[in-house]
This record gives sequence, structure tokens and C-alpha cells, in this order.
Amino acid sequence: MENDTVNDQTTPIEHVGSTTLEKPEKKAPLGVLFWVSVGWVGLNIFLAIVANFLPLIDPLALNPNISNAGPSLHHFFGTDEFGRDILSRVIFGSRISIAVSFGALFIGFSIGSPLAMLASLRRGRFDKALTTFMYSLLAFPGIIATISILSFWIPRNLFKVTLVIGLFTIPLVYRVVRTASLAVASKEFVIAAQIQGAKDGRILFKEILPNITPIMVSFVLIGVAGVVALEGALAFLGLSINPPTPSWGNMINESRTILSTDPWLALFPSIVLVLFIVSLNFIGDRLRNYFDVAEVKI
Amino acid sequence: MENKEPLLKVRNLVVEFGTKARRVSAVAGIDLDLYEGETLGIVGESGCGKSTTGKAIMRILEATSGTIEISGVDISQMDKKTLRKARTSMQMIFQDPVSSLNPRRRIKDIVAEPIDCWDPKRADRDEVVIKLLNAVGIDPDVYGNRYARQFSGGQCQRIAIARALAMHPKIIICDEMVSALDVSIQAQILNLLEDLKAEYGLTLLFIAHDLAVVKNVSDRVAVMYLGKICEIGPADQLYESPSHPYTKFLLGAALEADPDSAKHDEVLTGEPPSPMHPPSGCRFRTRCPNATQKCADEVPLPQAVGVGHEVACHYPLTITRK
Amino acid sequence: MTDHLLTVEHLRTTFKTAGGDLPAVNDITFTLDNNETLGIVGESGSGKTVLARTIMGLQGTRNATITGSVVINGAQVVGATEDEKRKIWASDVSMIFQDPMTSLNPVIRVGKQVDETLRVLQGLSKEDAMKRGIELLGLVGIPSPEERYRAFPGELSGGMRQRVVIAAALACSPKLLLADEPTTGLDVTIQAQILNLLDELKEKMGMSVILITHDLGVVATRTSRIIVMYAGRIVEMGSTDVVFKHHRMPYTRALLESAPKVSNPSHTRLTTIPGRPPNLLALDSGCAFAPRCAYATDKCRNERPELQASEYEGHMFACWNPITTDRGAN
Repeated sequence: MENDTVNDQTTPIEHVGSTTLEKPEKKAPLGVLFWVSVGWVGLNIFLAIVANFLPLIDPLALNPNISNAGPSLHHFFGTDEFGRDILSRVIFGSRISIAVSFGALFIGFSIGSPLAMLASLRRGRFDKALTTFMYSLLAFPGIIATISILSFWIPRNLFKVTLVIGLFTIPLVYRVVRTASLAVASKEFVIAAQIQGAKDGRILFKEILPNITPIMVSFVLIGVAGVVALEGALAFLGLSINPPTPSWGNMINESRTILSTDPWLALFPSIVLVLFIVSLNFIGDRLRNYFDVAEVKI
Repeated sequence: MENKEPLLKVRNLVVEFGTKARRVSAVAGIDLDLYEGETLGIVGESGCGKSTTGKAIMRILEATSGTIEISGVDISQMDKKTLRKARTSMQMIFQDPVSSLNPRRRIKDIVAEPIDCWDPKRADRDEVVIKLLNAVGIDPDVYGNRYARQFSGGQCQRIAIARALAMHPKIIICDEMVSALDVSIQAQILNLLEDLKAEYGLTLLFIAHDLAVVKNVSDRVAVMYLGKICEIGPADQLYESPSHPYTKFLLGAALEADPDSAKHDEVLTGEPPSPMHPPSGCRFRTRCPNATQKCADEVPLPQAVGVGHEVACHYPLTITRK
Repeated sequence: MTDHLLTVEHLRTTFKTAGGDLPAVNDITFTLDNNETLGIVGESGSGKTVLARTIMGLQGTRNATITGSVVINGAQVVGATEDEKRKIWASDVSMIFQDPMTSLNPVIRVGKQVDETLRVLQGLSKEDAMKRGIELLGLVGIPSPEERYRAFPGELSGGMRQRVVIAAALACSPKLLLADEPTTGLDVTIQAQILNLLDELKEKMGMSVILITHDLGVVATRTSRIIVMYAGRIVEMGSTDVVFKHHRMPYTRALLESAPKVSNPSHTRLTTIPGRPPNLLALDSGCAFAPRCAYATDKCRNERPELQASEYEGHMFACWNPITTDRGAN
């Protein structure tokens, strides 16, 4: 009908019909269970922090008259063989588990991550040397080493247990963070940043870190869960904090001998421990899905 | 053609990979001159070394030997620190638009990155970013704060162009920058590139495998085969009367969107030789119908066959006298 | 109607997505006869690959609904059972895909992959299948086929791998070959080899071929008919000559003119299509191309044009404001 030249493009043309950008991005829903898990973990941490201010029975108070009692109004979780209130021991005990696990992961991350990220960016001899060292540490059975060290490094305290476990998480963190960083460091936008004159530090912080944070967060949570379980196992073996200080692990340890007469001592700390670990795992998993940014469709 | 010094002068560039036992010769000694304000296209098939050349010039990968001079300054041996500064005069646009932008950063920040690195206290930083985004056809008010992952391939390439322009580089190397785009989007980007070249006075090194695309944007074109430049000359002249047999086959194989175009029966047969064992003498001789013993014994040196038109062949097909 | 090799009628493939129903293939009708080569041209998002997979019967129905009819040599593909489909694949239709590296299993020798169809679908013995396999490798131009029979895909170049894929597709002597972007990603000179090979084989084996591509250059000299797709529908179809020279739909013109040409001088301004391919989940009423069309009127935006015939035989287009002048000579 008219002439046959389709319009000559000199004006900006992105104003016409850009459809996918109009809608806000939809992310994977977190779900009810996620928030329940967050609630549970949050509750445990909160109680651990304010334990001293709660109207709890003294966890160390011995009361032989009512030993091995089942749950009652006065003792919600019952008492152990020394008549100590299980509920307050579980709450005070959580402090140990939480402190050790978060502390150990903190040590692991603060040392492992920067080294891993730097190695992934620099590559070359630095990366080769460091990675070989870390991987050989990994090959060494960390749990056995932890057990051996803690067996003779007495008297044990919170700091020593956290430190030993923490040191052995460094290679684990290193491996995970390095793998994630390598995947990002090989992408063209990192090369582009280098070409533009960004220094290594800036690249690590602005280009690599935002892209590996989801993996790191999820690994931290799963790692915390793992250390809580590890501390529990060490306590069970008698290698963690010495009694009478309560911890979930040593309560379960003590309950071994009196399982038939006083199942409550084994039951409550175990339930709380398991739920805590499962919740952490669940949160870590969901967060990883949530942040899993699908790259541009088109 | 030009009496002044080239902006980019590459001499004897050699890039080899691998161990002593298994050495891959990706680029086998090439010379390039890029003059200010021109677009030099480099075309060739996979394995010819064109992308490697671009990356070696940017020093994204290290050349085995050779010199790379920008405005007379040799950057090939520079240490990291000096190189960082020198790099502001060269920028690169990559093939995959999506992976060349950080999906977790806002495009305003991505485009401003070079300014933030070199001139962080610059007062008009935001205005510069707005101007650049407008120049590439992306509305900064509506889309400036979006994340790079929310954009399509063509839009990402525009953002990459804006980013490359931020520091007003002397040279931009385009490495297969439209190969991953649909035809209609490709046309938009190519037109945009031409407009910006005029507006910003850019000098471009355009690397691609598509003959028509390269001809469309380039003033001069270099044809590469297995790490060597076969032929280099003004775009129209080279395409009109190719002098090297490989160029002729390449042009013959190009598929024109025209039902009446002659179907070429002389198709280039066989496969390119492995870059680990390149043929002696002229690297194209194993597939060249005109090859003689001389081609196996002597490496052909570039000889002039027209104004600004050189070919590396013992038996060039055409010689245009001027 | 029953004489055609392939009859597609009102074919619709609709995906169920989180954002709603996505009509990737939206009411497609066409036919194909013996010894014909048809080109299906479209950009990404046009639906051409989904169409090919649906015709072949490869489109799963877990999150897609397929309605309409696809009849190949008398057999209905839509709604067919796996066994029925296998029968059709064994003798009538075969497909080759874009990326030869992912079409071939990297850990199985090439020869075995070629005669797999012979053994599984036609029940040939191992020896007979191997003989035929070597024959096929030779047919597609692979040098020393007896040796190459035992090679792994990783040992072959891209062009060679695509030849192997073609050999495997031809194993059961299909009457119809669907080639989805068979040369995209291959070097130009290898592309020419592969396309010439397909032409030769077409003649030798008396096949019909459907070439699906975004590259108009591929279809220009090698097809007798073309279908242009946009947003899941056919917007123009006819003989190759007519569609290239006497097209009516502005999209076809824009597609032809936005590709740079080797024959044009350097720095030729390219004609562009503004905007981007449409979001199939949010199609408005009216012509899908209207938001990007220079000739769009209100009618175009409100009412979707149906295919109508032009004065040329077999030529149909869907447009309210067709282009009436022919493309200028190049």
C-alpha cells in the first residue's frame, strides 16, 4: 500500500514492546516448612543467648530425691539421675552446641574463603601449591585427628574444642569456595572487569563474591549442622566439654547407662538436636534454591 | 593508503599452546596494522586463530612472541601494573552477551565500573552512565536499576557496548559479538555500532566468521587460515576480486539469501589440518587445487596485489593494478 | 488429501507453564509431497523446532498438549503409542538435529550408533547391520568407512560428526527427513559440503526433506517451497522463488532485508525490525507482528489476519496491509 522501506532506525528502539522486563522477577517460593525451620533455629539461638535471664531451674542443682523423674509440671522434661532439671540443661546445653558449631565455621570461613577466592583468581603456582596442601589435609581423616587431639589436650574447654574442629573445617570450606569461585572466575564478565582495570581485590569483592554468596550461606548452614552433630558425637565419646557443664552430646552420653530406667534423658536432648540439625539443613537447601538465579531467558 | 603511523601495530605475533611434545600453533606469526578511525575485520573459520589473535592483543592470553604496539608503546612485555593502566585505551566486547555481564549487578553499576576503578570521585559519574545507556538505546530511567540477568541477548550486548565506551578507549576489539544473536537483533546491533563509531570516533578490530557481517562493518578485511593471514585488503575489493584461493572458496561457500544466486559446485573439500601438525610451506596447500612443490617448500610471504591489498600466496588469483 | 507424503492439519502444541499456556505451535496446516524440499524459516521463539519435534512425534505430553493431525505416509502421529511411533520411525521419517556433538553418544563408537536403528527398528543381525552401517558411512562421504566405523565421536571433526548423524538418520531409508538447523555452528565451507551432501542424498534415495533454519541463505537455493513462521503461526508460505521475490508479509521483507549480504558494499545500512520477538504468554489479540510492524493499523492490532491466497499459485500470506511492490533487484 505504501512505500516498501521498513523504518530506518535512528531512534532508540528499546522503548518498543520490551515485554519480559515489565514484570518483576519471580523467585522460587520458600514455603511454610522453611519458616518453621527458621523459627525453630531462631528459638534455640534466642534461648541460648538469654538463658541466664530465664526463670529456669539451676541446671547444676542436684536433687537426688527426684532423680529419673518423668515430665511433670515442675520439670517439663523430667530429671536426670542426679535430679537435675533436663529442660534447663537442654537450654543451657544448647549454648555449647551453638557456640562450638558457629565458632568452628567462623574459623573455617574466615581463613578458608579468602584463600580459596584468591587462589581461584590468581591461579598459577599460588593456586597449585595451596590447593595441593588443602586437598592433602582433606585426605587425612579429620574426625580421627580431632578425636586424637582432644584426647590428650586436657583440660578441655570451649575454646579448645572450637579451635580444633574449626581448623579441620578450613580445607572443607576451601574446597567448596574454590570450586564455586572458579566457576565464576572463568566467566567473561570477570575478564571484562580485569580489562577495565579493576584490581584483584575489587574483582573478588564485587564480581565473584556476590555470585558465590548463596553457595556459601547454604554451606555454612549445612556445616553448622554437621559440627553440631560432631560435637554431639565427641561429647558422646567423652571428648567434649567436661561434665557437669551440660551439652546435648554429653547428656546423651550420660543417658546411655540409664536408658531403661530414665529414657527422658536420652529422648529430649536427642529430639532437640535432631530437629536443630534437620532445620539447618532444610534452610540451607531452600536458600540455595531461592538464590539460584536462572540466567537470562530468551 | 595511510602515511601516518598505525594506532595498533602487531608484528610477528605467535601464540602457541601446550607442552613441548604436543604443541598447538594457534597463531603462527602475523602482522597487523590498525589505523585510527578504521574498522579492520578479521574473518576465518574455526581454528584459524582469529579469536586467539584478539585475546593475545588484549593480553587476556599471553603471546609466545611478537610485539604489540599501541600508539607506539609496546604492551607485549608490560608487567601487570603498567598493563592495567595501558588497558584503558583498549576494550573488548565478547561473543556471549549473557556471560559477559555479572548477573547479580545492576546495569548502571556495570557500565560505571571503569569510571569507578579509575576515577571514583568523578562528579558526573551518573550523568555519564545515563548518556551511555541512552546512546545504546536502553532507557536508563526505566531499566537502569535492573539486574543484568533480566535482559535479553541483544540488550546485554548493548550494555556491553556502553560499558566498553565508558572510558573512551582508542581501540575496541569485537570478538564474534553478533554471532550469538538472531538476525533481526544482529542488524540492530550492527547499525548501532556504525552509529557509535561515527559519534565517538572509534577504531575497531572486528572478528567474526560470517563473511557478510564482516564486510558490512569493515573498511579493510583480513582472512585467516590455520594461524596465518592469507589475504588482507579493502573490503569491497577483496570480496569483489579475491586473490587467495582460500578466500575464493570462502566466498563461494557463503550462502546468499537469493534464489537466483549461482550454486557453487567447486566446494572446498576435505577438512582443515590439525594445528598440531600444520603443513610445511603454505598451510593451505593440502586443500588448494593450484598447489605445487614450491608451495610445500617455501612459506609464501605477503606480496602486494593492489593498493593496500596483500596476499600470501605463490600464485595469487588476481592482481589489480592501480 | 491422502496422496501427500506428509499432511499437517491444525496442529497445536501448547505448553503448560507457570505463567500460563504457551502456544508454541499455533494452528499449523500444510502438506508435503514426495521428492520435495521444504524450508521452514523463523527466528528463535517462532516455534519451528517445536513444530519439527511435534511432527516427528518427539514432543512429550507431560507438560504440553498436542491437538490436530500429522499424517506421514498414511500413519497418524498425534496420539500414537510408542510402538506405533517406532514403526513410523523405522521406515518413514527420520530427523537430524543441530548440534552433532550432543546428538551422538560420546562413549559409544560411531558405527554402532549408525546401525542401532537397523538392529532395533528393523531387526537386522549384527553382521548385516555392520555391513549396511559401513555402506552408509561411505554414502555420506566419510573416507575409509571401515576404519572410521570404530571411531568415537570425539575423534571426528564437526563436519564429520554431522555426516555420521546423517548416516544414522538414513539407515532406515526414510521417505521424509527433518533437518533442524543442520548446519548452524559449522564452518561456512563445511556447511556448503553438508548441504550439497543432503542434496545428493535426496536425489539418490528419493527422499523429501524439511530444512528448518533461521538462515535464509540456507533455504534460498536448496528448497522448492518455504514456510515463514512467526510466534507459532505460519505468516507466509509458497514456492521459494515467489516468497523471495514477491512476498507480501512485511515480516518476510524485514527478515530478508535485515541480513547483511556479501554482495552489498561495505557499510550498507541494514534494515532492522524494531523491538524483540513477542512473549508468547502475553499475546494480544490481533497480528502478533503488529507491535513491530511499520504498516500496522488498528485493524492489525485488533483482528488477527488469516492466511489468504495471492495471485501466485500456492502462495499464501497473513496480513491486512500486504506489501504490493516487489523487492528491488539486487
